[in-house]
Amino acid sequence: MSALRRARRQAWLIPATIFCAPLAAALWFGISDSIDLTAWRQLLADTQLPAALRLSLQTGIASTLIAALLAVAIVTQAHGSPRWHRLTASVGGMLALPHVALAIGLALLLMPSGAIARAIAMFTGWMSPPDIATIQDPNGIALVLALVLKETPFLVWNAAAQLQREGQGDEIEKQLRIAATMGYSRRSGWMRIVWPQLLPRLALPLLAVWAYGVTVVDMALVLGPTHPPTLAVLAWRWLLDADEAMNRQGAAAALMLSLCVAIGACLAVAVRKLGRPALMSRWTRGDRPASPSHPWPWHAFMRAAYLAIVAMLLFISVAGVWTFPAWWPARWSAQAWLTALASAGTWSTTLGLALASATTGLVLAVAWLETTPASWDARAAPFVFAPMLVPGVLLVGGLYELALRTGSDGSLAGIWLAHSVYAAPYVLVALAPAYRGFDPRIELTARALGKPRPVMLWRVKWPMLRAPIAAAFAVGFAVSVAQYLSTQFVGAGRHASLTTEALTLASGGQRSLSATFALLQAALPALMFLAAHAVARPRSKA
Amino acid sequence: MPAHDSTRRQLITTAAALPFAAFAPDAWCSNDWPAIERAARGQTVYFNAWAGSERINAYLQWAGVEVDKRFGVKLSHVKISDTAEVVKRVRAEKQAGRVAQGSVDTVWINGENFLAMKRDGLLYGPFGEALPSYANVDTQGKPTTRIDFSVPVEGMEAPWGMAQLTFFADGKRVPQPPKSVAELVEFSRRNPGRFTYPKPPDFHGTTFLKQVLLETSSYRTHFYSPVVTEQFDRHTAALWKTLDALHPTLWREGKQFANSAAAQRQMMADGELLIAITFNPNEAANEIAARRLPESVVSWQHTAGTIGNTHFLAIPFNARSKEGAQVLINFLLSPLAQARKADIAFWGDPTVLAVDRLPAADKVLFSQSAMPGVVAKSAPALPEPHASWVDAIEREWTRRYGQ
Repeated sequence: MSALRRARRQAWLIPATIFCAPLAAALWFGISDSIDLTAWRQLLADTQLPAALRLSLQTGIASTLIAALLAVAIVTQAHGSPRWHRLTASVGGMLALPHVALAIGLALLLMPSGAIARAIAMFTGWMSPPDIATIQDPNGIALVLALVLKETPFLVWNAAAQLQREGQGDEIEKQLRIAATMGYSRRSGWMRIVWPQLLPRLALPLLAVWAYGVTVVDMALVLGPTHPPTLAVLAWRWLLDADEAMNRQGAAAALMLSLCVAIGACLAVAVRKLGRPALMSRWTRGDRPASPSHPWPWHAFMRAAYLAIVAMLLFISVAGVWTFPAWWPARWSAQAWLTALASAGTWSTTLGLALASATTGLVLAVAWLETTPASWDARAAPFVFAPMLVPGVLLVGGLYELALRTGSDGSLAGIWLAHSVYAAPYVLVALAPAYRGFDPRIELTARALGKPRPVMLWRVKWPMLRAPIAAAFAVGFAVSVAQYLSTQFVGAGRHASLTTEALTLASGGQRSLSATFALLQAALPALMFLAAHAVARPRSKA
Repeated sequence: MPAHDSTRRQLITTAAALPFAAFAPDAWCSNDWPAIERAARGQTVYFNAWAGSERINAYLQWAGVEVDKRFGVKLSHVKISDTAEVVKRVRAEKQAGRVAQGSVDTVWINGENFLAMKRDGLLYGPFGEALPSYANVDTQGKPTTRIDFSVPVEGMEAPWGMAQLTFFADGKRVPQPPKSVAELVEFSRRNPGRFTYPKPPDFHGTTFLKQVLLETSSYRTHFYSPVVTEQFDRHTAALWKTLDALHPTLWREGKQFANSAAAQRQMMADGELLIAITFNPNEAANEIAARRLPESVVSWQHTAGTIGNTHFLAIPFNARSKEGAQVLINFLLSPLAQARKADIAFWGDPTVLAVDRLPAADKVLFSQSAMPGVVAKSAPALPEPHASWVDAIEREWTRRYGQ
């Protein structure tokens, strides 16, 4: 019996090893490239470095702060109101829109010859687009805007996942009611009671947002500054250069970005520790500020922006020639959709890989959560966040080398492994709050009634957690669908997915094609999020 | 790889006996082509080629059907967005000790990617000049088929298509296209904020700089030998003087540049810019045919000539199907395949062959009716300056305008 118990106690090693072994090997291969004195010297001597690094940090900090504030505002306004369920559904839809798709759509709205400029031209009579940098502006404002649009729904969605924990929503409403009886406005209740509890639990998603903001490449290529670009874009270019010395300089730059992310995270923790006493005294000083009577409808803005972006993508996908300042294209073309249809074979590859890697991620995440106490999540954090923090190209280089050494390059199995390494952490981050928050009394009751553990899991716990499980699966699915570099390198380019097809065609700069594939790329995850949302609906009480 | 070894030995013992041997003293001629064709039968060739154009992809699909039918070689187009990906992949394979059974059989390549692969021993060959179809390549009229960005090709890749710096614009908005750098500067002065060029080191941007360099210098010989540092300032003074005059009149006052030639084309199509740059003289015609540009778009080259170069096909050192790759490349160099490639209805990529030397039956394949958007009057192709100039000019450009 004790041997069995010991085996049970060691069971966590299985998911941990399955996830960490390939990741550690890949990280080792990837990072060993960046530890090269000459490369660092070359990097530090590069005249573009100071400005590029400043831009990366600036866009990362601005987008993280703004997205966090907006998420707080949106959740505060909507939770507990009848809008809440609809809002969480629309947020899922927003998450499904891939980063690049959002960037392209936003560029079409904002650019000097874009929809907004054409609307203004109707009044000003411009015959040519204004010579103003409304996208790729030197300060990265367009990039920050795109990041905020993309990351706010992610944070709202994570907050919703926290609130979805069994009973959590009711508990919060109860606390707010008590605060209300003491004369606090609803907004004060949120700010002084709910958020101080909720925000620390959003530390991991916030870290992911921060890391993404600093290391983002794909969105920065479309919307970010160019002269110089952000350091992440420079690192990406160097890493993909044909010259090996350049590759090492790129690896060094990538490592520098990872260090910045880590330092930023440590600073944030320190600020929170130091600032807590001051905040505590403010929360408890007893004043009763009123809620603003007309709060900004942030969520409505956001939904309008997403609708405009998707509409823009649809429009551009069939627009051939669209000369300024005309509203209507001079030539229409269905060519892009015909091309997309012709590559329908890639659909099954994409779907198969996404289902397989999301399943793998889910199995690993559940296995980890079932076999470890909650306090262990902190220990796992460095590994969980490595795939998010280490710039993509660096980790892909490592995964690829691993695939080469194991002879799995060019095979679907190799790509599945690579996608799983990326998908698993996101699944875990999405699932952990709800899973960890599962009321242990329910588990104990079931066990006390003589149900063996597998039956308890299968009949009680997992059905009760089906909403967060389905949502986490959808997240893993979306991560796999969006993979480009790992699919291309580990698969030796032999297995085309929707995303690789989209990006290789986009390299020809054909906008209608990029728009078409961006829409298709959004469609699969959107369907998955819809399915997850359907699963999450409370069962009928019949 | 016994087949490979014996072929190689025969290549070395049989001296070149082709008409252009005088210009190609190191050309090998294989008298055992049939053996290569036999070995190729049943092989699958993973052809890693940039896939940013549906028309190119469709052309390769056609080529796949043909080589399967004729030689029993299966073609698999591995679609990539940047050839540097392939260089990285082959290098990683070499470092991992994968000396045979590599993942790439043929790669579409030129310039710095070729230089990197050749220098690092990542290529198989020489094979190019031993291909039977190579006999028709216009090595005299198109010297860039033997020198890729100043790097001697030496048979380590086979020429596939020609490129020449070309400008295009909507004829309705630019009725009098500027046909020289001087006219271009004047044009931009009269239309401020409506011209730019891709930011160097983008390949098209650097080519534009080289074009200005050559066109503003009356004496050009020194550009075809390595840069002499002490003379650099004197030799490039005219270039910087021209750019200093041009930049304040450019899009964003020359403080920003287009990201790529494709981005510039899109901005031209939207009306944000007036002139776009390309390396494919038929690009505008292609885009018109694909309904992405209006039919009023015209293409032109500078009267005194524009920079031209060649793109190639190479075989990595560890390719699995080296014979299949050679059979494929030989087919792609045949008059039939080259004529279809040159046809704007399919791709519109100029041929590397000497069409006037072809037998009459093959020559007919190349005849083509005029289409909207083609270059009305071709200008001579100027060879690329020596490779060392690229780095020197890019560095100086970044120092002057890069911040």
